[in-house]
Amino acid sequence: MGTLTIGCFSSLVGSKSLDFTLKLAKTAADKGHKVNLWLSGNATILGKNHQKHLKDYSTGEKPALELLEKGVEICECEACALARGIQKPDSIPGIQWNAMHWYLAKIYSSDRVLHIGGE
Amino acid sequence: MKLGVFVNDYKGTVETVDRLEAEKLGLIFIQNGVFHATLKDNGKPSPLLDKSANFYVLSEDLATRGLTNADVDSRVKVVTYGDVVDLIFNDYEKLAWI
Repeated sequence: MGTLTIGCFSSLVGSKSLDFTLKLAKTAADKGHKVNLWLSGNATILGKNHQKHLKDYSTGEKPALELLEKGVEICECEACALARGIQKPDSIPGIQWNAMHWYLAKIYSSDRVLHIGGE
Repeated sequence: MKLGVFVNDYKGTVETVDRLEAEKLGLIFIQNGVFHATLKDNGKPSPLLDKSANFYVLSEDLATRGLTNADVDSRVKVVTYGDVVDLIFNDYEKLAWI
Protein backbone atom coordinates (compact mmCIF):
# COMPACT_ATOMS: atom_id res chain seq x y z
CA MET A 1 0.00 0.00 0.00
CA GLY A 2 1.17 3.52 -0.71
CA THR A 3 0.48 7.06 0.26
CA LEU A 4 -1.31 9.46 -2.04
CA THR A 5 -1.44 13.18 -1.34
CA ILE A 6 -3.94 15.24 -3.30
CA GLY A 7 -3.79 19.01 -3.31
CA CYS A 8 -7.03 20.56 -4.49
CA PHE A 9 -6.76 24.26 -5.27
CA SER A 10 -9.92 24.62 -7.28
CA SER A 11 -13.61 24.61 -7.01
CA LEU A 12 -16.50 25.16 -4.74
CA VAL A 13 -18.77 22.38 -3.55
CA GLY A 14 -20.64 21.01 -6.54
CA SER A 15 -17.86 21.45 -9.07
CA LYS A 16 -16.36 18.73 -11.22
CA SER A 17 -12.83 18.89 -9.87
CA LEU A 18 -13.81 18.77 -6.21
CA ASP A 19 -16.23 15.88 -6.86
CA PHE A 20 -13.44 14.03 -8.66
CA THR A 21 -11.07 14.68 -5.76
CA LEU A 22 -13.50 13.28 -3.20
CA LYS A 23 -14.28 10.16 -5.24
CA LEU A 24 -10.62 9.46 -5.99
CA ALA A 25 -9.68 9.90 -2.34
CA LYS A 26 -12.48 7.55 -1.23
CA THR A 27 -11.54 4.88 -3.76
CA ALA A 28 -7.85 5.03 -2.82
CA ALA A 29 -8.72 4.77 0.87
CA ASP A 30 -11.09 1.85 0.20
CA LYS A 31 -8.20 0.05 -1.50
CA GLY A 32 -6.14 0.44 1.66
CA HIS A 33 -3.93 3.34 0.65
CA LYS A 34 -3.11 6.20 2.96
CA VAL A 35 -4.60 9.42 1.59
CA ASN A 36 -3.88 13.03 2.50
CA LEU A 37 -6.06 15.81 1.15
CA TRP A 38 -4.96 19.43 1.15
CA LEU A 39 -7.63 22.04 0.40
CA SER A 40 -6.63 25.46 -0.76
CA GLY A 41 -8.27 28.45 -2.41
CA ASN A 42 -11.96 27.96 -3.13
CA ALA A 43 -11.68 24.27 -2.19
CA THR A 44 -11.66 25.34 1.47
CA ILE A 45 -15.42 25.75 1.21
CA LEU A 46 -15.54 21.95 1.48
CA GLY A 47 -14.59 22.28 5.14
CA LYS A 48 -17.55 24.47 6.10
CA ASN A 49 -19.94 22.76 8.50
CA HIS A 50 -23.76 22.63 8.37
CA GLN A 51 -23.94 22.28 4.59
CA LYS A 52 -27.52 21.78 3.47
CA HIS A 53 -27.88 18.41 1.76
CA LEU A 54 -30.41 19.23 -0.93
CA LYS A 55 -31.87 16.52 -3.14
CA ASP A 56 -30.05 16.17 -6.48
CA TYR A 57 -27.46 18.73 -5.39
CA SER A 58 -23.85 17.92 -4.78
CA THR A 59 -22.67 18.17 -1.21
CA GLY A 60 -19.24 18.25 0.34
CA GLU A 61 -19.79 17.70 4.04
CA LYS A 62 -21.12 14.14 3.89
CA PRO A 63 -18.29 12.75 1.72
CA ALA A 64 -15.75 14.71 3.79
CA LEU A 65 -17.03 13.05 6.97
CA GLU A 66 -16.87 9.64 5.27
CA LEU A 67 -13.26 10.28 4.29
CA LEU A 68 -12.37 11.27 7.84
CA GLU A 69 -13.95 8.04 9.12
CA LYS A 70 -11.76 6.10 6.69
CA GLY A 71 -8.65 7.72 8.13
CA VAL A 72 -8.06 10.22 5.35
CA GLU A 73 -6.26 13.27 6.68
CA ILE A 74 -7.89 16.46 5.44
CA CYS A 75 -6.35 19.84 6.03
CA GLU A 76 -7.35 23.20 4.73
CA CYS A 77 -5.37 26.34 4.19
CA GLU A 78 -6.12 28.52 7.17
CA ALA A 79 -5.51 31.78 5.35
CA CYS A 80 -7.70 30.71 2.40
CA ALA A 81 -10.56 29.80 4.73
CA LEU A 82 -10.33 33.00 6.73
CA ALA A 83 -10.20 35.02 3.52
CA ARG A 84 -13.54 33.48 2.57
CA GLY A 85 -15.16 34.30 5.89
CA ILE A 86 -14.90 30.82 7.38
CA GLN A 87 -13.81 30.84 11.00
CA LYS A 88 -12.37 27.76 12.67
CA PRO A 89 -15.52 27.13 14.78
CA ASP A 90 -17.44 26.93 11.46
CA SER A 91 -15.35 24.07 10.14
CA ILE A 92 -16.20 20.37 10.05
CA PRO A 93 -14.80 18.64 13.15
CA GLY A 94 -11.78 16.55 12.27
CA ILE A 95 -10.62 18.69 9.39
CA GLN A 96 -7.28 20.22 10.24
CA TRP A 97 -6.28 23.82 9.71
CA ASN A 98 -2.73 24.67 8.84
CA ALA A 99 -0.42 26.48 6.43
CA MET A 100 1.26 25.38 3.21
CA HIS A 101 4.06 23.61 5.08
CA TRP A 102 1.54 20.87 6.01
CA TYR A 103 1.03 20.16 2.31
CA LEU A 104 4.75 20.27 1.55
CA ALA A 105 5.55 17.86 4.38
CA LYS A 106 2.90 15.42 3.10
CA ILE A 107 4.25 15.69 -0.43
CA TYR A 108 7.74 14.76 0.71
CA SER A 109 6.49 11.70 2.59
CA SER A 110 4.13 10.46 -0.13
CA ASP A 111 4.58 7.89 -2.88
CA ARG A 112 2.31 9.77 -5.27
CA VAL A 113 1.13 13.37 -5.49
CA LEU A 114 -1.70 14.79 -7.57
CA HIS A 115 -1.86 18.57 -7.61
CA ILE A 116 -5.15 19.84 -8.99
CA GLY A 117 -4.65 23.45 -9.84
CA GLY A 118 -7.00 26.38 -9.55
CA GLU A 119 -9.40 27.45 -12.26
CA MET B 1 9.97 9.08 -15.96
CA LYS B 2 6.55 7.46 -16.18
CA LEU B 3 4.05 10.28 -16.31
CA GLY B 4 0.29 10.06 -15.92
CA VAL B 5 -1.62 13.13 -17.08
CA PHE B 6 -5.20 13.85 -16.11
CA VAL B 7 -6.87 15.67 -19.00
CA ASN B 8 -10.01 17.35 -17.67
CA ASP B 9 -11.03 19.57 -20.58
CA TYR B 10 -11.49 19.34 -24.33
CA LYS B 11 -10.00 22.64 -25.39
CA GLY B 12 -6.51 24.00 -24.87
CA THR B 13 -4.87 20.73 -23.93
CA VAL B 14 -3.18 19.52 -27.12
CA GLU B 15 -0.43 22.15 -27.08
CA THR B 16 0.33 21.40 -23.44
CA VAL B 17 0.63 17.68 -24.04
CA ASP B 18 2.91 18.38 -27.01
CA ARG B 19 5.42 19.88 -24.58
CA LEU B 20 5.49 16.88 -22.27
CA GLU B 21 8.22 14.30 -22.56
CA ALA B 22 8.20 11.03 -20.67
CA GLU B 23 9.66 7.56 -20.91
CA LYS B 24 6.09 6.34 -20.56
CA LEU B 25 3.12 8.64 -20.99
CA GLY B 26 -0.45 7.93 -19.95
CA LEU B 27 -3.36 10.25 -20.70
CA ILE B 28 -6.36 9.79 -18.44
CA PHE B 29 -9.44 11.53 -19.80
CA ILE B 30 -11.84 12.73 -17.11
CA GLN B 31 -14.64 15.30 -16.85
CA ASN B 32 -15.01 17.12 -20.21
CA GLY B 33 -11.71 15.56 -21.25
CA VAL B 34 -13.71 12.41 -22.10
CA PHE B 35 -14.66 14.09 -25.38
CA HIS B 36 -11.11 13.46 -26.60
CA ALA B 37 -12.00 9.78 -26.50
CA THR B 38 -15.39 10.11 -28.15
CA LEU B 39 -15.79 13.15 -30.41
CA LYS B 40 -14.85 13.39 -34.05
CA ASP B 41 -14.29 17.02 -34.95
CA ASN B 42 -14.86 17.41 -38.72
CA GLY B 43 -14.70 13.64 -38.96
CA LYS B 44 -11.32 13.41 -37.27
CA PRO B 45 -10.57 12.00 -33.81
CA SER B 46 -8.79 14.15 -31.27
CA PRO B 47 -5.13 14.80 -32.24
CA LEU B 48 -4.22 13.73 -28.71
CA LEU B 49 -4.92 10.14 -29.77
CA ASP B 50 -2.05 10.37 -32.28
CA LYS B 51 0.44 10.78 -29.44
CA SER B 52 2.70 7.96 -28.38
CA ALA B 53 0.88 7.24 -25.15
CA ASN B 54 -1.51 4.95 -23.35
CA PHE B 55 -5.05 6.30 -23.21
CA TYR B 56 -7.71 5.84 -20.55
CA VAL B 57 -11.17 7.31 -20.04
CA LEU B 58 -13.18 7.36 -16.82
CA SER B 59 -16.40 5.36 -17.24
CA GLU B 60 -18.38 7.42 -14.72
CA ASP B 61 -17.64 10.65 -16.57
CA LEU B 62 -18.69 9.02 -19.84
CA ALA B 63 -22.01 7.94 -18.34
CA THR B 64 -22.61 11.39 -16.84
CA ARG B 65 -22.48 12.80 -20.38
CA GLY B 66 -24.74 10.14 -21.90
CA LEU B 67 -21.86 8.30 -23.55
CA THR B 68 -21.16 4.57 -23.54
CA ASN B 69 -18.20 2.30 -24.24
CA ALA B 70 -19.43 2.04 -27.82
CA ASP B 71 -18.71 5.74 -28.31
CA VAL B 72 -15.07 5.39 -27.27
CA ASP B 73 -12.19 5.25 -29.76
CA SER B 74 -10.62 1.80 -29.92
CA ARG B 75 -7.25 3.19 -28.77
CA VAL B 76 -8.72 4.22 -25.42
CA LYS B 77 -9.32 1.90 -22.47
CA VAL B 78 -12.40 2.55 -20.33
CA VAL B 79 -11.50 2.55 -16.62
CA THR B 80 -13.19 2.95 -13.25
CA TYR B 81 -12.06 5.02 -10.26
CA GLY B 82 -10.54 1.82 -8.87
CA ASP B 83 -8.55 1.33 -12.05
CA VAL B 84 -7.35 4.93 -11.84
CA VAL B 85 -6.02 4.34 -8.33
CA ASP B 86 -4.17 1.26 -9.59
CA LEU B 87 -2.72 3.23 -12.49
CA ILE B 88 -1.50 5.87 -10.05
CA PHE B 89 0.31 3.42 -7.82
CA ASN B 90 1.42 0.79 -10.33
CA ASP B 91 2.03 2.50 -13.66
CA TYR B 92 2.84 6.19 -13.27
CA GLU B 93 5.29 7.58 -10.73
CA LYS B 94 4.54 11.24 -11.52
CA LEU B 95 1.14 12.82 -12.08
CA ALA B 96 0.00 15.99 -13.77
CA TRP B 97 -3.35 17.75 -14.14
CA ILE B 98 -4.18 19.81 -17.21
